Amino acid sequence: MEKPGEEVMSGTSTEYLLLLTAVTAGVTFLLRALPFIFFGTGKRPPALILSIGNVLSPAAIAMLVVYCFACYVQDRPPVDHMFGLAEILASIVVVALQLWKRNPLLSILAGTAVYMTLVQTVVP
Amino acid sequence: MNRKPVLKQAFISSLPVLMGYTAMGFAAGVLLAAKSGIRLPALWAFLTSATSISGALQFMLVDWIRTARPMLDVALLTVCLNIRYSMYGLSLIERFRGIPPAKKLYLIWSLTDETYALEVENKVPPGGDSILYCLTLAALNHSYWIFGVTAGALAGAALPFPNKGIDFAMTALFLVILTDQCRERRNRVYAAIGLLVSVPCALIFGVGRGAEEAASLKDRIGMLIPSIVLMLSVLVVFRGPLEKLETWKNRGKKS
Repeated sequence: MEKPGEEVMSGTSTEYLLLLTAVTAGVTFLLRALPFIFFGTGKRPPALILSIGNVLSPAAIAMLVVYCFACYVQDRPPVDHMFGLAEILASIVVVALQLWKRNPLLSILAGTAVYMTLVQTVVP
Repeated sequence: MNRKPVLKQAFISSLPVLMGYTAMGFAAGVLLAAKSGIRLPALWAFLTSATSISGALQFMLVDWIRTARPMLDVALLTVCLNIRYSMYGLSLIERFRGIPPAKKLYLIWSLTDETYALEVENKVPPGGDSILYCLTLAALNHSYWIFGVTAGALAGAALPFPNKGIDFAMTALFLVILTDQCRERRNRVYAAIGLLVSVPCALIFGVGRGAEEAASLKDRIGMLIPSIVLMLSVLVVFRGPLEKLETWKNRGKKS
């Protein structure tokens, strides 16, 4: 039974989802609006901000890739799952297709299909 | 004067986005219905896609809902995912100067990667209203995205299929973005920094779990926040040497 004051907000509760929608939409809008807010009058942005803004993106995406793999390591311990064979093969498919065809949708769909097939058959 | 050619050209320009957004949005919507565990996934698919209009975010949301990630984490991660949007505005300040506030707000709100690219390209017919062109493009792309995500969530909830492993779509999306970014040599240095910083953080902190499941404070924090803090510190402190490395690596390409 629920005890008042000890509730932990569940990720699927309406309150959590509303808050999540508001925070993600609000922060994203703010990011889009920043240059108009600060430099709308014609001032030049400080060099530090410009340079960090330009270089943070590749670093952050690399971090998110590491995060995805860390999730797999936790959920599917490599020792019991052919040392991540499914993850490694599917990733190679994605990167190789993207280098070759430059079609994001194709790379994502093909990689996901390979992964789903592998984890549903060979490497459960 | 004549609105029709402008509207027509905006529609034609948006056609590649129609295909991309509906397909990508559909995948994100299916994932939301399959993996987040929420009731009424189509409603939340609609609300989140209509308000954020952000691809990578739409995929990450599923993970955040599943683990009930605290809002501070959500906000910081959103900044990381979408910081590039604040660069886009810099090249549109002049174009958008002096237009009515409501229109300007919508143009800013709807500024995605693809909409930005088309607005900068600005294929407005000669003598046509460039702001009408941008607004139409933005509204079309926005509606494609909402349609894709919502339809995906409806389909994912209505047709249960063996969906084990579908979450790889998010990993694949990040791999695709990273691959494209690394085509530009200067980005490779910064992608390498992201890797070098986040791998040790992953080993130390793990992926982090929601408040209910976390065994310790370390487990509760997870790798993302320490990685972001470290990454920013490295980028700020070593800005000079890194820029030198960047130009040194580009040495072969110029001349």
